[in-house]
Amino acid sequence: MTTESYMKSTYRYGNASCILALIFFLMLPVAICAHLNVSPDWSNVLKGLGSIAIIFYPTAVIEVVAYAPLLGAGGTYLCFVSGNITNLKMPCALNAMENSDVDSNSEEGELIKTIAIGTSAITTTIVIALFVLAFSLNPSFSEVFSDTSPLAPAFDQLTYTIFGAIAATYFVKHWKISIFPIAAVSLLLVFAGTIEIGVLIFVGVVFSLIGAQIMYKLKLV
Amino acid sequence: MFSDFKSDGFMLCIALLIIGFVVCQSLFFVIRAIKRAKQIGITNTQIKSSITSSAMFSIAPAIGIAMTVLVLSVALGNILPWIRLSVLGSITYEVPAAEAAIEASGLTTGISSAITDPTVFATTAWVMTLGSILPLILIPLFLKKIQSKVSGAAKKNSKWTETMSAAAFIGLIAAFLGRGISGLGEAEVLESGEIVNVSIGDGAGVLSLTAIVSSVVYMVIFVMINKKLNFKWLEAIAMPLSMILAMLTVVMVSNFFPDFAAIEWRY
Repeated sequence: MTTESYMKSTYRYGNASCILALIFFLMLPVAICAHLNVSPDWSNVLKGLGSIAIIFYPTAVIEVVAYAPLLGAGGTYLCFVSGNITNLKMPCALNAMENSDVDSNSEEGELIKTIAIGTSAITTTIVIALFVLAFSLNPSFSEVFSDTSPLAPAFDQLTYTIFGAIAATYFVKHWKISIFPIAAVSLLLVFAGTIEIGVLIFVGVVFSLIGAQIMYKLKLV
Repeated sequence: MFSDFKSDGFMLCIALLIIGFVVCQSLFFVIRAIKRAKQIGITNTQIKSSITSSAMFSIAPAIGIAMTVLVLSVALGNILPWIRLSVLGSITYEVPAAEAAIEASGLTTGISSAITDPTVFATTAWVMTLGSILPLILIPLFLKKIQSKVSGAAKKNSKWTETMSAAAFIGLIAAFLGRGISGLGEAEVLESGEIVNVSIGDGAGVLSLTAIVSSVVYMVIFVMINKKLNFKWLEAIAMPLSMILAMLTVVMVSNFFPDFAAIEWRY
């Protein structure tokens, strides 16, 4: 098998699984309506959808364009079907890339990212299922993870603990091109502190690419 | 265990079917990738290290996601949030989507009280689904084009591509670190005009910075230990271990120094 034929079949299986996932996910509300013998109030569906689509549809377009080159083909298919990309699958892929020390744009990079993201999706599904089972069987278990639990602050800051560790490895290797995007994003947040994370990532990536391109042209990296 | 219509046997069957599909898709892609990896000479050690490290790395964030299931379960029961957060969904999307859907049905309580009307439940399920499926339409249409542009650029100039690839990852990391440094948290304006912080831990402050700095420090320590002693086993678990130790540091700071931990400069 050549790289080309492997990638060709990845796209074929990936597209098929994406379309199958779309059908499965759309069947969820259909099945709920059939089971409960109700029809949704379509005007309320449109009203609710309108208020979230205005934020999440443009974000979805940005995410597909910005994340796909970072996740690789196999990783993209798995990520967008299993969800929780920025807070879990993306850092997991970065972690695996760092450990295996392969070029992100090579076939090796594509494979390592697919293995990492797939493993993450399976692990996450099992952990969530176990927790849901525990919550259902013993509701008091949920108190351990409630807002008033001593552990709650750690989970509030979870994202920062993930990206702190990743930042350490990337910044050691690429500190010259790291300073500008962090400073630019932090400054932007001073003036527009509530930017949605999907948009902020896009802005961060654009800042970072511009900074790196300038440094590359000036032969500073 | 599953008593009302939101959490009955039927809902459980749907959950197992949909979540089973996602697990099968992941398994299929992972097995294919492992077979191919062996063909092109990626070592078993590298493959095992990727699997171990990714599994360990995913446990703490998965618990965070399970907590979001808990938040949504008050209104929607356990099963629908479980499905939504195991497939397609994300922590940042599901809560606002559920809020919007419930409020569109005229319930001002949002996700804080149980839905008892099946029509509202069905409406909510539709809104949450339709609001998140766009990527599944875009990816089959555009992914190949996006990837071929990236690999085309990679072939032209490998040094430039390597730099730009690292820059793209750094841009992503910068977005999250930036939020921890100067991201705005929730606030309320009192009648007197005073602005008060209504939620500790969501804006940039002592806790966000503690999380970032401690995680960086632990990771640097592990990298240094690795360089000196060449512990292969530590290399694979350094990142998840740094993350867990940083979480413990946050717990200690917030429980032993609550007033200091409550300081936020952005709310």
